[in-house]
Amino acid sequence: MNLSGTERNRQLVTVGMGTVLLALAMGAVLFAGFRIATHMRASITALQTASMLQTYPEEIAHQLNALRDRLEARAYAGQALADLKAAVARLDRELEQLATGSNIQSPELDQALLLWHQYGPVITPVVSFSGQPYVDSDAGGSALSREGRVHYADVKRAQLFASENAKRLQGQLAAVATTQQQSASAAAARLRTLLSAGVLATLLLAAAAAYFRMTRSRHEQAAREAQEQTRDILKSVREGFFLLDADYKIGSVWSDALTRMFGRKDFAGLALEDLLTDLVAPATLSTAMKYIKLLWGDRAHESLMKSINPLSQLEITLDNGHGGRDTRYLQFDFHRVMGRKGVKHVLCSVGDITSAVLLARELHESQENASAQVDMMLGMLHVDPLQLTSFLDTSDTGLQMINAILKEPARTDAEFRRKLSGLFRELHSIKGEASALNLMSIAQRVHALEDMVGELKKKAELSGNDFLPMVVKLDELLAHSRSVREMAGRLTVVKDTDSTAIAPAPTRPEKSGAAGERPHGKSGEDLSPTLQALAERLARDHQKRFRLTLAGLADVPARYLGTVKDCVIQMLRNAAVHGIESAEVRRALTKDDVGVVRVEFRKSGDGYELVFEDDGAGISLDTLKAAAVRKRLISEQEAAGMDARAAMGLIFRSGFSTQDEVSMDAGRGVGMDLVARTVYKLGGKIGVSTNPGKFTRFKILLPAVGAATTAVA
Amino acid sequence: MSTANGTMTRGNGKRALKLLIVDDSSIMRRRIERSQQFEELELVGTAGDGVQALELFRRTDPDLVTMDLTMPQMDGIECISRLVALKPAVRILVISALADKATAIEAMEKGANGFLHKPFTDRQLNEAFAELLR
Repeated sequence: MNLSGTERNRQLVTVGMGTVLLALAMGAVLFAGFRIATHMRASITALQTASMLQTYPEEIAHQLNALRDRLEARAYAGQALADLKAAVARLDRELEQLATGSNIQSPELDQALLLWHQYGPVITPVVSFSGQPYVDSDAGGSALSREGRVHYADVKRAQLFASENAKRLQGQLAAVATTQQQSASAAAARLRTLLSAGVLATLLLAAAAAYFRMTRSRHEQAAREAQEQTRDILKSVREGFFLLDADYKIGSVWSDALTRMFGRKDFAGLALEDLLTDLVAPATLSTAMKYIKLLWGDRAHESLMKSINPLSQLEITLDNGHGGRDTRYLQFDFHRVMGRKGVKHVLCSVGDITSAVLLARELHESQENASAQVDMMLGMLHVDPLQLTSFLDTSDTGLQMINAILKEPARTDAEFRRKLSGLFRELHSIKGEASALNLMSIAQRVHALEDMVGELKKKAELSGNDFLPMVVKLDELLAHSRSVREMAGRLTVVKDTDSTAIAPAPTRPEKSGAAGERPHGKSGEDLSPTLQALAERLARDHQKRFRLTLAGLADVPARYLGTVKDCVIQMLRNAAVHGIESAEVRRALTKDDVGVVRVEFRKSGDGYELVFEDDGAGISLDTLKAAAVRKRLISEQEAAGMDARAAMGLIFRSGFSTQDEVSMDAGRGVGMDLVARTVYKLGGKIGVSTNPGKFTRFKILLPAVGAATTAVA
Repeated sequence: MSTANGTMTRGNGKRALKLLIVDDSSIMRRRIERSQQFEELELVGTAGDGVQALELFRRTDPDLVTMDLTMPQMDGIECISRLVALKPAVRILVISALADKATAIEAMEKGANGFLHKPFTDRQLNEAFAELLR
């Protein structure tokens, strides 16, 4: 049964009204029955009276006869007169009572009364006689007295009248009785009909009562079923449902999902604030409560309120029952339940959207990966395929080196630290080249690895396990490098088919460290685009303006190509970060806004000379010393005792940096020491001269190619 | 920076609702003014900060206000409180780049009637106005 409330109400009203009408009808029946019964009783009384009075006319006639006989026989007439008097008085009284006492309307009675009233003049003198009818004399015995004679004449006349009219009066009284009998019978019939109606009404009433009872029990049944269904819904629905009242308290009905979500059961009457207080940050809670307060106002509409719902994605951590804690994401939705006087309740639904949130996050990550790949591809499109392949080869070697360093067994702290330094140098070198080629996806990954090494360096004690996360990261980097190579392969194909002007890309360009292939030849690789691109990026990243002039780089022997590239990259970074001043500073120093960085490679005696010069701030010895003290490379005493040459040598110390903040281009202190090491290993020399505020100049001397010691690039 | 005029009725004699636009960006002010398509709205002024908005509000008694939140001198939240204190029946649409819900809720709490995030499309702006005029 599924009656809507209004329909059920209408039915109840109809049935109720019917019952009232039936009750009224019953009342009417009873009242009418009472009236009829009263009437019937009057009729019956009248019938009895009339029946009884029927004999009276005859009796009066008899008594008048007897009185006349007595008077004629001069016998005692007192008793006969008394009897007559009594009979007349009774008839008169009864008739009078019949006529006035009861509510009988009967023409027969009227006629009987009329006739009886005609009796009056003749009978009254008789019954009112009170004298002595006889006079006694000795001579004649008893004789009628004078008044006796008059009395006798009255009696005779009355007797005559009574004899003549007795039958008529009796007939009329009989007619009255008959009428009353008929009236009583009719009333009885009416009463019977009425009683039948009463019985019918009673039956109907009983039926109505039964219907009421049935309807009620049906409604109760329906209500019970509805309640059961509600309970089932609340038990099985996955969302948490409850109503909030105007005091922001949870109502008595709520779905079981809440228990699963919040790990409690005492929701009825619980304030929402109390439910959330341990789960959310105080600021969020306060915002949420303000929001819920707004829901009760009339200012905000549903869609706006939905858009500013602060609980639309709530991160909570709950005890998972196994000793740990789970992070779940809950979504609270609020709907206003309107009553006649505005907002009655707020229906709150709580959904567990953890899987959706995690899925969205995964999606976002994969989208970011995809877009990073696109970025990488676009970046690679600008890179010369030869340079790219060359870089990939170099970085592969570097990564293998890193892998080898990671695998190296180490026990003592010093060994661990040596491992870290080695890793740092290799990573830094790869990062430098990657950022020079604008391959930021690789550069950022290497930077992250550098960060890990940096963190480890800060640790007081090191163990082999500390290096494990790096292995994972390195694997990722290798995979990424492979995907870059794959993409580079495809790009080469695209570029080759695109332009026939470009010579076919060599499959494996010579490695800088692979001596012997073309030891004395020119490299054939042009470093200029790479270095110019790096210079542009560095200028942009560090908001500096400078011009890079390159000379003689085409003459770099293949043997020195890697070294020269690494050195120039590192020095260029140094120049961009430390050397070249900002345009404002330069202007203040009356220098040209745009700085100049000059790189020149030339033959010098048997060997070669690389000059790197910038017209920037120069190197301040005090700054160098202070930084070295800060980094604990030297003590303050040592610093005080250092001459200019020794102080300048600090920039080639491992771990030295004047930057406190680590960025992509500076701050790790593996820049110039890497340059110096490489140069020394090749049997070369490095020198630096500076004039604070004016310039910094590095001069690197490299031996003739054949004379160079075997080294690692 | 600011304009004010006293026209209160349209040509058809229908009483116009007076609109005040408050935003520190002149581009945004022009954008709101040009993009709204409600004939019954009569622009009575534009203001670039809260102080100016308050001064114009007293002078022109607008029915509707669009309100930026991040502004020099007096921010939008403070300005909303002041405007509502002056005229409780004023309807305020917050148009802000501040995306956090707490700010929106605070603005609503102070008396704003609607919230629109920047950047917005013409359609979103007109929908927000329609909601406000309902």
